[in-house]
Amino acid sequence: MKKTTVVSVKDLKKTYFMSGGLSQEVLKGVSFEIDAGNFVAIMGHSGSGKSTLMNTLGCLDRPTSGKYILAEKEVSKLSDDALASVRGQTLGFVFQNFNLLMKRTIADNVSLPLLYQGISKKECYERACQMIKKVGLDGYADRIPSQLSGGMQQRVAIARALINHPKIILADEPTGNLDSQTSDEIMGMFQELNDEGITIILVTHEPDVAMYAKRLIRIADGVVEYDGSVKDYFVKGNK
Amino acid sequence: MFKRIFGEAWISIASYKLRTFLTTLGIMIGVAAVVLMVAVGQTVQNVIDESFASMGGNLLIVLPGASSSGGVRTAMGRWTVSRQDMDAIKTLKDVQTTSYASMAGVQAVYGKNNWSVNVTGTTPDYLSVGNWEIERGIAFTDRDLKSAASYVLLGQTVVDELFGLENPVGKTIRLQNIPFMVIGTLKSKGPGLTGDDQDNLILMPFTTLRQKIRGSRQPQMINIGFVKVETEDKLDAVMQRVSYLLRARHHLKEMDEDDFTIRNMAELVAQVKKVGFYLSLLLGAIASISLIVGSIGIMNMMLVSVTERTREIGIRKALGAPNKWIMTQFLVESILISFMGSFMGLVLGIGVSQIGGAIFDKNVPISVWTVVVSVSVAIIVGVLSGIFPAIKAMKLDPIEALRYQ
Repeated sequence: MKKTTVVSVKDLKKTYFMSGGLSQEVLKGVSFEIDAGNFVAIMGHSGSGKSTLMNTLGCLDRPTSGKYILAEKEVSKLSDDALASVRGQTLGFVFQNFNLLMKRTIADNVSLPLLYQGISKKECYERACQMIKKVGLDGYADRIPSQLSGGMQQRVAIARALINHPKIILADEPTGNLDSQTSDEIMGMFQELNDEGITIILVTHEPDVAMYAKRLIRIADGVVEYDGSVKDYFVKGNK
Repeated sequence: MFKRIFGEAWISIASYKLRTFLTTLGIMIGVAAVVLMVAVGQTVQNVIDESFASMGGNLLIVLPGASSSGGVRTAMGRWTVSRQDMDAIKTLKDVQTTSYASMAGVQAVYGKNNWSVNVTGTTPDYLSVGNWEIERGIAFTDRDLKSAASYVLLGQTVVDELFGLENPVGKTIRLQNIPFMVIGTLKSKGPGLTGDDQDNLILMPFTTLRQKIRGSRQPQMINIGFVKVETEDKLDAVMQRVSYLLRARHHLKEMDEDDFTIRNMAELVAQVKKVGFYLSLLLGAIASISLIVGSIGIMNMMLVSVTERTREIGIRKALGAPNKWIMTQFLVESILISFMGSFMGLVLGIGVSQIGGAIFDKNVPISVWTVVVSVSVAIIVGVLSGIFPAIKAMKLDPIEALRYQ
């Protein structure tokens, strides 16, 4: 089976310009490709450029220069609204602090990405219920997030990330706010999703969590320091 | 699509019930105040109009005596204008008709009842000049004027005080111990501008008054004369002619002051109407201040809301919400609030003004115009106070917004 490339970044640079003419180059030319169905962990110390890379991959930010081809589409120069559309249709986000709308029902939260694609209220609800079932929260559709535990809230977030059948799921420290047992549960869920063929990009600083991935990209000081098998990296004590 | 935005906006404002209610209250009070004040102003104007309609727009009033001469009133109170003067004025160009009157205060007696009342001796034309209508019976005629007939017309107050529920037509009342036959009654006009009772009067032929009630050495002289002009634009010209005529008839020399005063009622009416209009405007302007305060309340609330919901905005943007959608949602929230507020304000304003109207026994008009303006103001206020917060929400950077705690 021929592997298709879903993410291709080439010589990605990002410079922040601050007042007073100061500027700081955070990404100094990052290049890699990710095949469909891969499970990639991105690691790096704080200040390494890891978050900026994640924001760029998530189409929340544009690179200063370089190319970013996402699902065969050049997205590095798109307008705000075009990027929003790409986010809504191609990507699924899972955040550290879940980022649910606390005043809305679980079904409303899960179907939120569909809202902006002009899908009817009825269909939104039905699809949300399917996803809620898939993440094991059957019967919670009409509850609100504060009635759920942290692990359950993260499952809601995963259901939300899955609802638009994204090409890639971007998970930014998804277990950062969870205890170790719940973390294992959530990571198990990501692994299942990956087994189903969904590409996952995971940002983490915990080696235990990164071990669930197949491939590791380690960023240091704005450049790729390591790119290869997770097991090789940790087993060989490459730390 | 818009339906969904509307739904999202509605859920958002509905989830902050107290805050939404308080913000709505500001607009509600503002709109209610505007509606109420405009209604009050309109009612005052209507009362003025009604009171002055009785005098007629194109009316000149001729009074004996000069108004003033170098600050000193000269011929005031002297008998200088006669019935014959008024009859002569009647023949002038553009004059429709003239009337005149003389008054006296008397005690009217019928059976056991007696009542203090003003008697006006006048001509049959006085009814049309003064906008009086006959309710029962008939009016006196020129023949009665000539013959000084002992006929009287009674105002409603006099009817009530002397006759109660009895029909006065054909009955005889006594004024200064002289019997007069009631030949008709006048339709009620209600209280005048200053709250005086316009219906407390008795009308009789001028000659009858001068001969039987108010014995005078100069029975041809009048207290007040009325000149009804064909059309309002002829008022000034007729005023000139009347002045020339009276000066000639009174043999005044070129240097002499007028021994009479002519007043233009139309001018007075216009002035009072103007006062009424400015009163409405002033009341409306004061009420508008509360509407402005209310709309600032909305803007304030929306700004707080944008800040408070920064993360929500970030989430929505991250999940694919276009900028326009975010902006529209906040704008719709603001318009919804101001719309609900103005609707409630409209209901409140109309309700209070109608209750007030019922209490003071006045017809308080609510024009379609008021409703249309309030609703448009609501939408404008909603847009204006929502646009700035909506743009602020739209411009939020999703990365920053997601990081916001």
